[in-house]
Amino acid sequence: MNLNTSILKYIEDVKSGLFTVEEFTAATLQRIKDVDVDVHAYLSLNDSAINDAKLIDQKISSGGKIGRCYGFPISIKDNICITGTKTTCASKILENFVAPYTATVVNRLHAEDAVITGKTNLDEFAMGLTTEFSAFGPTKNPWNLDYVPGGSSGGSAASVAANECLASLGSDTGGSVRNPASFCSIVGLKPTYGLISRYGLISYANSIEQIGPMTKTVKDSAFLLNIIAGQDVNDDTTIDNNNVNYLENIEDGIEGKKIGIIKEMTSSDGLSSEVSTATKDAINDFESLGASCEEVTLPTIHYTVAAYYTIASTEAGSNLARYDNIRYGYELESEGYEYNSYISKSRTKFGPEVTRRIILGGFVPSAGHAGKYFLKALKVKSKLISEVNTAFKKFDYMISPTAPVQPFKFGEKIDDPVTLMLLDYNTVTANLTGKPAISIPYRVVNGLPIGMQIMANSLEEKSLLQAAYALESKTILPEVPL
Amino acid sequence: MVDEEEIIRVAKLMKIDLEDHTEHVSRVKKMLEYFDILDQIDLSSEEITSQEKSLTELRKDEFIPNDKKLIESLKNFREHYVRAPKMN
Repeated sequence: MNLNTSILKYIEDVKSGLFTVEEFTAATLQRIKDVDVDVHAYLSLNDSAINDAKLIDQKISSGGKIGRCYGFPISIKDNICITGTKTTCASKILENFVAPYTATVVNRLHAEDAVITGKTNLDEFAMGLTTEFSAFGPTKNPWNLDYVPGGSSGGSAASVAANECLASLGSDTGGSVRNPASFCSIVGLKPTYGLISRYGLISYANSIEQIGPMTKTVKDSAFLLNIIAGQDVNDDTTIDNNNVNYLENIEDGIEGKKIGIIKEMTSSDGLSSEVSTATKDAINDFESLGASCEEVTLPTIHYTVAAYYTIASTEAGSNLARYDNIRYGYELESEGYEYNSYISKSRTKFGPEVTRRIILGGFVPSAGHAGKYFLKALKVKSKLISEVNTAFKKFDYMISPTAPVQPFKFGEKIDDPVTLMLLDYNTVTANLTGKPAISIPYRVVNGLPIGMQIMANSLEEKSLLQAAYALESKTILPEVPL
Repeated sequence: MVDEEEIIRVAKLMKIDLEDHTEHVSRVKKMLEYFDILDQIDLSSEEITSQEKSLTELRKDEFIPNDKKLIESLKNFREHYVRAPKMN
């Protein structure tokens, strides 16, 4: 059975009776058994996946009403809650935490008969870009197991790339969907802030993060967006998308569209020559598709990484204050501890990166330092929003490579915090401005993927997906060698 | 220049025990030094903007009784109270 298929092709095949949901689910679980010992994309598996698949098959054979997903297998990043199952955030502090409720996005998938395969690995609490900060060991890149898969949704991206599911849901705070999508050669979408409910996503930096689909094809991302996007009474930051059908007219093309090539992201010091060459080729492809490309300069981008880490750490410091091991957490006898010392003791279970972000998140907004860091970061955010909004008066899209470099070897960058932060250089702008952005697999050079990023104006996902589909149609990529 | 003592003081306030964590302090310091880049941008005419929502758009402020399972999932409780370590 060919597991390297799209959601849309899978649905067609199930409808035509080529295979049953149970057969495909069983083959997927076997694939996980075969390759995940090396890839380590999953932290836990859904024990009832086969039963869930059988129930959908029964509905199909009895002519009952079937949800739009027809039982396709999807993995979920382990910072998104599903009732009765472990949700660890790849942290020792939540090692045995069982979620008491289900995230809206997962409820919507269940309502449409998707089969959840399991929960995927991430950098602890989604803080990182390589999955090297997972408390349960890193995920490997299916294109080359010696290389990082990107992060923080590295387990999600690897599970899709290694054909251990057909799609995944990740979360993107500063590039955590798009960066691993780029590193693993899949499609990753960070939607407009508010388009997808965050109810049930364990909070890291609420003001900038979004859940996003990670798929093999652009059409699959549109399909998933149709299911999970839209207002939710449990998340007051969600916005009305007027029930847009993102799949409809996706093949319309980009003839006559104007594209801004972001100068700061295509000529930065950290840009590798391979990524630079691929970007020039992508620009030629966009022009051959009938779009006009022109360089655009957004000077505030130079300051975005510092602003992003200041804002994200501040919100993390506040959000992670809840982990005091009192209401839930791991076993640690409180006898003999004073209240504050007990909490400090229990919080030593946080991994190194989370510990540093909490310290940073206490420092940058504190009295005496807020003026230099946090308040300035908020002003950079405002300035960036007005710069980007002005640019979108002229351009339909803005493009750049998703990451300035290709995947790198484990351990190569982990020792230098500034180098790690700068990997976010091309992705944080979409988070700080709330704009939608997508990473599309574009090249595989020396056996390692390169992704291109397209950004559009708020709530322009339909148009964004049309551009992404147009670029995707220009690419011919090899199959993952695993 | 960021003062290491200040970082250690803030870590304590954030309930982070820094024993054996000198590496954390130096890495946080490096990150803060990178943030100095924020001193180079002219923000004198910038205002902090935020997204606003009127009260009528918020979800209803209703009391939803706790599921009994929530209480039972607590580690240490008596009736409806959580048991916490003693405060000095």
